Amino acid sequence: MSMGPAAGEEAVPFINVTPLIDVLLVLLIIFMVVTPLKPSRFEAKIPSEPDPNQDLSQLKPNPLTLVVTIFGDFKLKLNQDDMGSTNDTGALSSRLVGLFEERKRSGAFRTGTQDVEKTVFVKAPRSIKYGEVVKVIDAIKGAGANPVGLQVDDLAQ
Amino acid sequence: MGMAAGGGEDLQSDINVTPMVDIMLVLLIIFMVVTPFLQQGVTVAIPRDMNSPDVDPAIIKESSVVISIPNDGEFYIGKDKMVKAELGPRIKKMTENKSDAERIVYVKSGVGVSYGTVVEIINVIRQQGIDKIGLVADKKKKGGAVPAPAA
Repeated sequence: MSMGPAAGEEAVPFINVTPLIDVLLVLLIIFMVVTPLKPSRFEAKIPSEPDPNQDLSQLKPNPLTLVVTIFGDFKLKLNQDDMGSTNDTGALSSRLVGLFEERKRSGAFRTGTQDVEKTVFVKAPRSIKYGEVVKVIDAIKGAGANPVGLQVDDLAQ
Repeated sequence: MGMAAGGGEDLQSDINVTPMVDIMLVLLIIFMVVTPFLQQGVTVAIPRDMNSPDVDPAIIKESSVVISIPNDGEFYIGKDKMVKAELGPRIKKMTENKSDAERIVYVKSGVGVSYGTVVEIINVIRQQGIDKIGLVADKKKKGGAVPAPAA
């Protein structure tokens, strides 16, 4: 009633966009807040349970196997080589990237496929904090390794 | 200009509440929609600011199996606290009707949990014939560097 044009005045031909903008701004803010909640994860492979009757003597070790070992004092080893510590995974990453490049050039493929062998196994003692292990997995994944396998049996304390 | 009261009319003295009500309603609806997502399982100090985890929207699906380990010796599936012995049958039940590609169990462990505990859970998972797990981690936001919390 009182918002209508007063008697004798012409009708006002424009839309009040303020509420629309209010609503849109609120929506915008809400989406900005909600978007970072997108969850993410590292995919890892785990071995099947060991079968005590399995004959392991016929298995040949794969020369392309990469094992990253974490020690109780946070030191890292890639196969037999020292690779710094869990607090500085740069050496490990760059080494892995280099290795994968070299394998691509020399054609070190996974048996029976055209994919470069990029499997990396992770071995860590039971007493270490999970956070340290994830930091290392982050570095390994970042270097392009896929899949990452977690060693579950025969871990050090 | 056009909205002002016409000449000769009294100044209008009540507050226009329509925009306020609009906003309140929208907020209400948004919160109704968002709340179920915020209550995903239990609060766990998952690893933060990681560079290379893959985004996987399936983690918050109702049907996926998420095992949370906020502290050593505390295990949850979804929101239900359970003891270690109950985990195996429960995982089996939840994964038996899934296709091979979907047979993945998510492990949402706190950074302070010892790796031995996580390995024990992985051991339980593999006993159910599952060979793929997802370690839930928080991806670093692009751009603005967030200082990493002390682990």
